[in-house]
Amino acid sequence: MDKLIDLLPLLGEAAWETLYIVAASLLFGGIAGLFIGLGLYVTRPGSILENRFAFTVINVLVNIFRPIPFIIFIAAIQPLARAVLGTGIGNGALIFAISIGAAFGISRIVEQNLLTVSPGVIEAARAAGAGPFRIIRTVLLPEALGPLILGYTFVLIVLVDMSAVGGYIGGGGIGNFAIQYGYRQFNPAVTWAAVLVVILFVQLIQFFGNALARRIMRR
Amino acid sequence: MLRRLFAPRPVEGIERGIPVSIVSMTDVVKSYPSAQKGGAPVVAIDGVTLEVERGDVYGIIGYSGAGKSTLVRLVNGLEKATSGSIVVNGTEITSLPERSMRAVRGDIGMIFQQFNLFNSKTVARNVAYPLEVAGRSSAEVTARVAEMLAFVGLSDKAKNYPDQLSGGQKQRVGIARALATSPSLLLADEATSALDPETTSEVLSLLARVNRELGVTIILITHEMDVIRSLATKVAVMDGGRIVERGDVFDVFSQPENAASARFVSTVVQGIPSPVEVATLKARHEGRIVTFSFRDGNASQAQVFLDLAAAGIRFELVYGGINDIRGRAFGHLTLALTGDDAAIDSVLARIATHSEVTEVSR
Repeated sequence: MDKLIDLLPLLGEAAWETLYIVAASLLFGGIAGLFIGLGLYVTRPGSILENRFAFTVINVLVNIFRPIPFIIFIAAIQPLARAVLGTGIGNGALIFAISIGAAFGISRIVEQNLLTVSPGVIEAARAAGAGPFRIIRTVLLPEALGPLILGYTFVLIVLVDMSAVGGYIGGGGIGNFAIQYGYRQFNPAVTWAAVLVVILFVQLIQFFGNALARRIMRR
Repeated sequence: MLRRLFAPRPVEGIERGIPVSIVSMTDVVKSYPSAQKGGAPVVAIDGVTLEVERGDVYGIIGYSGAGKSTLVRLVNGLEKATSGSIVVNGTEITSLPERSMRAVRGDIGMIFQQFNLFNSKTVARNVAYPLEVAGRSSAEVTARVAEMLAFVGLSDKAKNYPDQLSGGQKQRVGIARALATSPSLLLADEATSALDPETTSEVLSLLARVNRELGVTIILITHEMDVIRSLATKVAVMDGGRIVERGDVFDVFSQPENAASARFVSTVVQGIPSPVEVATLKARHEGRIVTFSFRDGNASQAQVFLDLAAAGIRFELVYGGINDIRGRAFGHLTLALTGDDAAIDSVLARIATHSEVTEVSR
């Protein structure tokens, strides 16, 4: 227990690091996932920019990358991280790996939520003379915003999960803290302190996500 | 100037050399590739030729799957015709690229069965949408939105969201949105089918105002004959992707020539007994059961009774109804006739010279 009190400043630092890693991954991976998901939605047969070839390519790409276990993906993507960032280790490389790995999963969530928008509403916009890009901007995204926020809330929690293996490539964060000071030093109290912090994060994220979505959907 | 003001208002466009037809379809075919590989294509529209004139309220009626929804979507290019020609407002649209099609759509309003309002936007933003697409200035948009909401009687709902409105109010917003850019043509796709009877008549009278006060031509898709009766001036009956009958609403209602049209007409026209009812009538009444049909309130109804009385035939009114279509009446009266058979035959022959006579049972 004394050991845990000694480690509290490190725990605080690790918690901040997790927040930073998750926020940066959400920014990059979330935006990339939004575009890939939009691509899936608009090119699917019968949609506003129907294109069988583009749809097949994106669809296959997503299906290839999405099921790779993240702990393997993080190692597999290391050479690319080295080429792009100049380093394959540390928080930068971790954010790089999470952003790419998560983007494909996020794209499916985006696609699913866009599909909840009634085709009739899209047709009404087309009948008013709107083109595909205007429809995406002024109808599709605003109409799907509530479900999208809930989807991204779910994603954010997945990102917390993904960030926990950061220690394998020299990244920090709460997962690294739990492994290094709790698991490897046979100190379950330390591990559980890290677990409590993660539970707190997840609760807060879900709470704010729900509140925001409720506000947008006005119910 | 004075002459123009006082002269009877000509059909808009004639003086400017614009043809009277606002929509002109010739041999239009729309087919979809089969769902299965190598299957025969599904033909939704099978060679339709249709002229809609400016100022018309043109009703298109048919059962689900008859192709009427596809037909109306060909007019604003939401669907592309497989072959044939479609001229809207003087523009041949079948060969038009999507980008130019968007400009044509700005002059065609559309309303839908499920209203299709943008749930994320207020009533005012919904009505503003087509104006923003058309690139109007924000002052112009604000003024026009207020004007349209006043026209449909929903000025007080401007800041509400669609999910706070009743079905009838939603469709009125749909109408305001469809007419915001002052289009000359309105497409109504089953616009009242999701509404209860009372709200339906409210929306129908609004559409009648749209046609009368704003001079908007309306193409009205429905499977409800009642909607055609109360609003349309002309009607086309669709069956299996073809137009099987068309014409003046009064003519089609009073004398349907096609079996499908007759079935539709019988849903709203009172007076012709069904075979089951004929059996009941026969069991209940003596004598011969004869239906007399009258059109346009001519004198023949009185003449029928005079002829029967003069021949000494006893008659009893057993079934019937008089229908009114936009001020013109037609009706069917079924009588049970008793008396000498030969006398009945000769009087029926005489009546047949001025009225329509159908002997349903003897």
